[in-house]
Amino acid sequence: MDGLTLGLDLCDAYTQLCCAGQDRTWSFPTAVCRAGGGEEWLTGEEAYARALAGGGVMVDKLLQLVMKGGTATIGGVRYEGADLLCRFLERVLALPGERPVVRLVVTVPRTEARLLDSLFACGERLGIPRERMDVISHTEAFVYYVLSQKREVWNNQVGMFDLSEDGLCYYEMKVQRGMRQTTVVAEREKLDEGFNLDILKSPSGVHLADKILCACGERLLQRKLFSSVFLTGKGFESQDWASEFMKMVCARRRVYAEPVLFAQGAAWRAADLERDKTAYPYVILCDGRLNVTVSIKVWHRDQESQMVLAAAGEGWYGAGNTAELILDHQDYIEFLVTPADPRQRKTVKLTLEGFPRRDDKTLRVRLQIGFLDENTMTVTAQDLGFGEFFPSSGASIRQEVRI
Amino acid sequence: MSVILCRKEQVKHPFFMESLGVHIYTSQEMCYAMYHHPLLILDGFLDQNFVDFVRDELDMGFTALKMERFMKRGENPDELVFLFMQECGYYTTAELNRLRQKIAAYRKLPAPEYARQKADYLFSLRQYGKAMDGYEKILEDAENKKAEDGFLGAIWYNLGACRARVFQFAGAMEAFDRAYGKLKNLSVLEAMYHVTRMDLSLTLKERYQSLVTEEQKAAWDADFEKAGEAAACSEAARRLEDLFGRDPIRRQEGIRQQVEEWKQEYRAMA
Repeated sequence: MDGLTLGLDLCDAYTQLCCAGQDRTWSFPTAVCRAGGGEEWLTGEEAYARALAGGGVMVDKLLQLVMKGGTATIGGVRYEGADLLCRFLERVLALPGERPVVRLVVTVPRTEARLLDSLFACGERLGIPRERMDVISHTEAFVYYVLSQKREVWNNQVGMFDLSEDGLCYYEMKVQRGMRQTTVVAEREKLDEGFNLDILKSPSGVHLADKILCACGERLLQRKLFSSVFLTGKGFESQDWASEFMKMVCARRRVYAEPVLFAQGAAWRAADLERDKTAYPYVILCDGRLNVTVSIKVWHRDQESQMVLAAAGEGWYGAGNTAELILDHQDYIEFLVTPADPRQRKTVKLTLEGFPRRDDKTLRVRLQIGFLDENTMTVTAQDLGFGEFFPSSGASIRQEVRI
Repeated sequence: MSVILCRKEQVKHPFFMESLGVHIYTSQEMCYAMYHHPLLILDGFLDQNFVDFVRDELDMGFTALKMERFMKRGENPDELVFLFMQECGYYTTAELNRLRQKIAAYRKLPAPEYARQKADYLFSLRQYGKAMDGYEKILEDAENKKAEDGFLGAIWYNLGACRARVFQFAGAMEAFDRAYGKLKNLSVLEAMYHVTRMDLSLTLKERYQSLVTEEQKAAWDADFEKAGEAAACSEAARRLEDLFGRDPIRRQEGIRQQVEEWKQEYRAMA
């Protein structure tokens, strides 16, 4: 391989980096520090150490800063959150060596538009163009990690507990084998029972934490058939403190502890993107991907067919489509929104208010759809006119639709 | 009610449909023109130039190939229209069947009547030059000279109307004169009278003067004045007034555009 294929788990508390095909991983706090008065920038533990020694100003919680569009002033200079994130990533991506990055997949807890915009912009600044970079959710990284294991690990449902400084999260994945395609459905639930990892420093805290986890485990795992359960996050670096929980969770199940799971999942995804044919020929429904298929009915040669504008399983950030349509005796466009269960299909109507009424089959419209998140679709329709017979009226309409 | 998905077509050189005076940029526009103006596409419209457009601009190579083979076999050229339109999928089979019936009806018409309908259609599209050619051809045809007076009179009348609309008033007068010879109709005299109002160098022939009463003249004058008033209040006249109300620079630009527009219009119709 000529370059690096990287998986990067980026959270407010920590960052983990993993290189496909290599055992070595890197893990450190997500923090950046401008040392002294100059332009020397430090990251991770070094940033903490220098800031504690009074040799610089440190900024952490970079993801939150970016999502809020916030800034940080260091030494009288105001830095955009995205700028600091870029400086942080520049140093992180240099860790595996000098080889160029051929593919980077970043995984974040939630795929929010502003964060994704900033990450792709950072990628461009660091010489990684959009087509060589992807951003996926933790849930999706979990899916890729699990699907990269032996089939017996994910024959039935797979559960996972992620205990970190950011809280306690439960992930669940199941594979639905259908006649035409296999669908992988994964969900993430942030548990209210999450606790600060500092309580593990005292015996009473350990006891309490163990009890909390047991209660959660019993509630979430009961009456379900699990092929395996994974434990990840800083809280599970050692499981010695959670003896009762381990006893409960290990009963009739395979349990795996993997501290760098999300970064590895991202690396598997990155390696897959480098292949000509995917090793995961499944429809994956999870955070960051569309849960529904959006289509419209079109006529061609006396037959009605459905034209898919965005398919379930596509990443919402890159999903979207443009089509030119001719409306025959109708002043609206009807979308079919079909979830995994087709019985729950619904229709969404876009009425073309302000559009001209024209002769038959001469209302030509450019339709463009995109997504603001997994559940919000933006639809834009524009009157294109009909050549020199009917010049465009310039009418257009834009709507946001909950799907 | 339905939605039709448009083919992705990157037409760099649009097809100029001379009879309509429009450039065609897509297969849908071409189908629309064919469907709504069948009389304009029946005689030699679908030629090699058209096939080249289908292949090179619409990127419908297979269709173009089929059309070429069809043409080489010398089959019914009307079927070429349907071959193309079926491939485009813009009209349904039912709609194409309606068009087929319409074309078949035209083809069943006697040759002079078909030629007249075509010329009349061009007239309705303000393509007066082409309509005049059509009418003149009918009149030149030796066979048609034996036709009924009513038919020939109508052709002469329409030819006169065409000539009047392209400001060939003397020619119009002559055509109306021939029309009256066949029709002996007062409306032809009225047309001639109006031509004399538009071109003051022309007068009604003496033999017609005696046929028109002063009351009729007064009524026709009133009609003429009324038409003039209506034209003065028309949208086009209002636009001209607006134009002259603008500041000198914008007015100059507007006048240039307007004159260009008139030139184009005149070229298209003459």
